Amino acid sequence: MRVLEHDDLRRTHLPVVKSGGKVCGASFGRPLSALIVLAFAAIALVRPAAAQQGTFTISAAPGGIPFTAGGGGTLSGQFGTMNALGIGTPGTGVTVIPLNNGALYLTHYQITVTGLPNPHLAAVTAFVNSNFTHPAALIMQSCPSSSSCNASGNFSAMSLLAAAPTTVVAAPGINNQTVAAGLAIFVPDNNGASSFTGVDAARITLTATDTTNNKNFATAEIRLDTPVGETVQSAVRLTLATATGGLAITPGSDFSMNFGNVNGLGFGPGAGLTTVAAAGGIVYSTPYVLQPAFGAFRSTTATIRTFVSTTFAHPTILILRDAAAGPGPYNNIGTTAGTATQITNAAASRSSITRFLGLFVSNVNGATSFRGSDSATLTFTMTVP
Amino acid sequence: MKKFFTILALGMMALSTVAFAGTTATNTNTVSPTLQISATIQSAVQLTLSTGTAAVTHCAVTPTGGTPDYTMNFGTVDALGINAGNCNKFAPTTPGTSNAIYWSDYNLNPVFTSQTATTNTITAQVTTDFAAPNNIFIVRDSANSSTVPAAATDFTAVSTATPDTIVTNAASGSTQTRFIGVAVTPANGAGVTGAKSATVTFTLTVQ
Repeated sequence: MRVLEHDDLRRTHLPVVKSGGKVCGASFGRPLSALIVLAFAAIALVRPAAAQQGTFTISAAPGGIPFTAGGGGTLSGQFGTMNALGIGTPGTGVTVIPLNNGALYLTHYQITVTGLPNPHLAAVTAFVNSNFTHPAALIMQSCPSSSSCNASGNFSAMSLLAAAPTTVVAAPGINNQTVAAGLAIFVPDNNGASSFTGVDAARITLTATDTTNNKNFATAEIRLDTPVGETVQSAVRLTLATATGGLAITPGSDFSMNFGNVNGLGFGPGAGLTTVAAAGGIVYSTPYVLQPAFGAFRSTTATIRTFVSTTFAHPTILILRDAAAGPGPYNNIGTTAGTATQITNAAASRSSITRFLGLFVSNVNGATSFRGSDSATLTFTMTVP
Repeated sequence: MKKFFTILALGMMALSTVAFAGTTATNTNTVSPTLQISATIQSAVQLTLSTGTAAVTHCAVTPTGGTPDYTMNFGTVDALGINAGNCNKFAPTTPGTSNAIYWSDYNLNPVFTSQTATTNTITAQVTTDFAAPNNIFIVRDSANSSTVPAAATDFTAVSTATPDTIVTNAASGSTQTRFIGVAVTPANGAGVTGAKSATVTFTLTVQ
């Protein structure tokens, strides 16, 4: 894209003719003739007017978001759909980096400088000339050309001020060449009153400056509004993790936990297990960790419940129980969604909740006794109101 | 109108609910990951001993936490029943001819789980006998019951060759009171005095 060039001409004044160390003024008897002579003299003696040279082109980088050229030296594109947890596949040309307080959606673009007279160099700055209307939900970030722009640490918030723009190509700048820079949108968790879901857009102005003469010689605008703009979605995530000193939780479909060999007397609990006395048998207990995360919700807390969605094949021999603390008390976990056991109704996003899962093993003997392997499934449901 | 529909379609695409793995979801307010829990149940048996409560006095059954599992000390004994010992005694009926019995009650606590059958036995056998000249040996209550013995004749030597069944079909978790002691013979000769020890092995079998 060819961007606007300033008609910023270097003013060159008519030189004064000097003679014998004195300034001599020319005198003509006839005004018309004098004017003609003066014109020719000017043509003969003046240096050519030196216009500010150089052009400045913004374009899509390979693998970056596609831009379409608009009128008036603008480029248009979009980051597409985003969420604070970085869930899902980002838009075309966008890479998402989940962070511990949001997600960074980044892309690359190219800056090409041509036509600068040697040894002039160009620096480039940028600022957000029209920010997102929901600045708590979407934050424009920039990465300078000196960086690889592939990590969150390479990016920083882009200035909103024309008077204090963000450096994209640092001074002394570049000669006639193409460099890549990074553009990103940080989507913070942003729960609570400032939460937002929907479509928003922003515009960025980039300015090229000839650092040899400190003249701005071109500007460009990137409009992140085409064809839709930036769509912020709410997002939820609930993961389980192994607690310190607890039984290992293995990611699978979705998670699994193996109590190993158990018996009705609580002999030899495996690593990560402790036994707790219980009427009619024993409870093998382990701590585990719930990790809720959610973004773009009005509520700042969530409710987590669990129920036994698939019971053991021997449901009177093996029973899943829940406790808030290791010693208990351990209560049977509900076996239907309607009777699900509430773990908490105040789960904060990005928090870690340690809970205790108990496996009751009956000590029954005789015909109803059971030896062998069995399994059950717990379904955890997190709801952000 | 056509433009309106285009915009509407784009909006619907953007706002449609997208769910990913069971742990994550977008455009919705709920997510439901699952946790599969597995375990293998094994049958188990347990037999513990503890100090009795039935007799007048009790020699303590002391768990060692190692080997042997428990100890019981009858104290200083003699064939004439002169010493009191640590708990109860029956003096010899005929001093110098019959044996003195120093004895105590104790409790057996059998527990078993996930067993197909509930029939069971507890046996006792002297697996390490007192050293020669064997002027002292282990005895048990002949009745194999919780009835407190009334005389020296209520005791029988515990076998050193085959296990003696002392409990049959006890309920899991029940406490079984029995009596054990040492009989001191009036034998004379070398090595008949001094500290001596023997080991009795109790075996719970559920089948």
